[in-house]
Amino acid sequence: MGSPFSMNGGACVAMVGKDCVGIACDLRLGMQALTVSNNFPKIFGINDSVYLGLTGLATDVATVSDLFRFKVNMYRLREERNISPDTFANLVSTSLYERRFGPYFVSPVVAGINQTSGKPFICGFDSIGCIDFAKDFIVSGTASDQLFGMCEGLYEPDLGPDELFETLSQALLSAVDRDALSGWGAHVYIIEKDKVTKRLLKGRQD
Amino acid sequence: MDTLVAQYSCPAIEDTTLDAEQDELLHGPDALSLNFSLPPIAQPSSWLRAMTDDASNPNCPIKIAHGTTTLAFRFKGGIIVCTDSRATQGNWIASQTVKKVIEINNSLLGTMAGGAADCQYWLAYLGMQCRLHELRNKRRITVAAASKILANLVYSYKGMGLSMGTMCAGVTPQEGPALYYVDSDGTRMAGNMFCVGSGQTFAYGVLDAEYRYEMEDEEALELGRRSILAAMHRDAYSGGFINLYHVKEDGWVKHGFSDMNPIFWKTKLEKGEFSNVTADME
Amino acid sequence: MGGFDFSNHNRNVALHAKGMPLPKATSTGTTIVGCLFDGGVVIAADTRATSGPIVADKNCEKLHYIAPNIWCAGAGTAADTEFTTALMASNLELHSLSTGRKPRVVTCMTMLKQHLFRYQGHIGAYLVVAGCDPTGSHLFTVHAHGSTDKLPYVTMGSGSLAAMSVFETSWQGNMTRDEAVKLCSEAIMAGIFNDLGSGSNVDVCVITPEKATLLRNYITPNVREKKLRNYKFPKGTTAVLNEKVITKEDISKYVTVHELQDDEAMDVDS
Repeated sequence: MGSPFSMNGGACVAMVGKDCVGIACDLRLGMQALTVSNNFPKIFGINDSVYLGLTGLATDVATVSDLFRFKVNMYRLREERNISPDTFANLVSTSLYERRFGPYFVSPVVAGINQTSGKPFICGFDSIGCIDFAKDFIVSGTASDQLFGMCEGLYEPDLGPDELFETLSQALLSAVDRDALSGWGAHVYIIEKDKVTKRLLKGRQD
Repeated sequence: MDTLVAQYSCPAIEDTTLDAEQDELLHGPDALSLNFSLPPIAQPSSWLRAMTDDASNPNCPIKIAHGTTTLAFRFKGGIIVCTDSRATQGNWIASQTVKKVIEINNSLLGTMAGGAADCQYWLAYLGMQCRLHELRNKRRITVAAASKILANLVYSYKGMGLSMGTMCAGVTPQEGPALYYVDSDGTRMAGNMFCVGSGQTFAYGVLDAEYRYEMEDEEALELGRRSILAAMHRDAYSGGFINLYHVKEDGWVKHGFSDMNPIFWKTKLEKGEFSNVTADME
Repeated sequence: MGGFDFSNHNRNVALHAKGMPLPKATSTGTTIVGCLFDGGVVIAADTRATSGPIVADKNCEKLHYIAPNIWCAGAGTAADTEFTTALMASNLELHSLSTGRKPRVVTCMTMLKQHLFRYQGHIGAYLVVAGCDPTGSHLFTVHAHGSTDKLPYVTMGSGSLAAMSVFETSWQGNMTRDEAVKLCSEAIMAGIFNDLGSGSNVDVCVITPEKATLLRNYITPNVREKKLRNYKFPKGTTAVLNEKVITKEDISKYVTVHELQDDEAMDVDS
């Protein structure tokens, strides 16, 4: 058995565009070499304009996504408003650091648009909650090395929603085609101020 | 006339050449195979294992390419040999275009699974030995003899870290279509059907369900293709291109080295198989 | 509320016993320095965060706010430096509110070392604490196990040797503000170019009794050349199997707003 981060496999990437952000994940769930499911999305909607991507150990992906659903629902009831992406990022960070000495084996990615300022926002975390604020792109999962390479090459600032979709999708598809543990299709979300487009990509099935 | 015939023809098996071969069999393989230098340490085999076994040590310094699905089966029309083409080092897909079928000569095929270098080197060596056998004896080596050369060879290195699971398939006048499985433990088995590699179980699943000895050529080729496709789909360490061969009485015929992805979607859409892959979002 | 949650600890120890490696945290394999000058103190840091051999963040912030007159540079486990300094910032704010005095640098240093000593080095924060208070300008280092130093010039992190070599050749007593800023940024540059764990830009923070000035990206010696051509894909490059558009109108369909009459308004008092 390798590390808990590479038992189930999976990849996630987020990118900033002009007045939009994109976040994408693969769909594989495996147990080492065996592919168990090809419909295991790793992106979870937090609200209309904030999305959370979780890669790593599948049991923790499920636990952590449920935990944040609970926390965000409680926030909405208390505050009577949706959580903004930057506030949510801090919630993720503190929640993970709380378990500094018994972490969840996940690498979260947050992507969204701040509804008050209209500003795109992305960030990534390590498993104990250190935030990586990036202006360009965030990657995570078993294909993260490949994704770093693809994004450094393909990314450019101020892409429109359609251009962002193509760049983000091609970066993800190319990266997972070089990773044995991720792939088998992908979900891509392009988030704009008043609209979210979700697409299912046709990926290689090996 | 008789003297002329005697001058220009040889008996099928000449005593002197038999001696040379017997000598080799008695005193082990020739110098080429035993000339490897070993690391200057007490336990070379366990040391090599510690250096290369990424299952027990993910940070091992030498990563050996692993992960494969290969299959071969005998049927009425000969033998089908089919493999994937992926090479992985850990989770990294090092290549999607590996040729895992080794053409030993125009009627003998070998397949690779396990250490890519081990398979490539020793099957090339086997090819050389087969050619020498042919020159010495003026007739093709049998599949049984070829597979035995390989089995004896790997057995002499047993426990020293060789990693290979291979199949030898061929058709000879003496044996007809013959299929042997040889692995680095020294196992050598004749059989009708073998699947080898990390995706072997998936391939067996399809193959066992659909296999009949009385199949037509086209059916058999399709079954080989479909079995590898199933393994490529479910096994993370198999994928890439489908490499398909048909071994017949007058030698093998290659039936393409084709990308699995269009074949997968074609199989899915036309036959309604792989219904686990859908276009639904939730 | 507050404190650590150990509920996954046993599971993870069991997993670790089965041969699973511990998760690799983002670390700031870092160069951080500090230097006193006449009338204040300067701290500086590089901006590279690493995860194993991968550069996780090319422009992270390693200079942390603690109090208006105290700043801190952090090396080691990134999450630990981030949260330890945030905790100190919070506690010192409360402390100065209850005492009615400006927080002192020694207080901050003592609280840090007590906190870190309690965790026996498991909180991997290696810090350079600097600030000005009514007792003067101060510069400390705090190690993860709780030991501290008080020196006129300090370096920490994987690039500390490179940085210290600069200090040892060029440092002199009674420097001016500008001399100290120049010396510190040169020490960081030595780390950026000679230590593989450090890189990208130089952040500097100058603290005087009057104010603290953060000079974010004071020097940027590693600007990536702009791409001369692009890899834009034409629309329709990627094969899509399914598409769904979620618009704001769709979402608001499920929300109804009712104006409540005064008499039927909910009574929150009773």
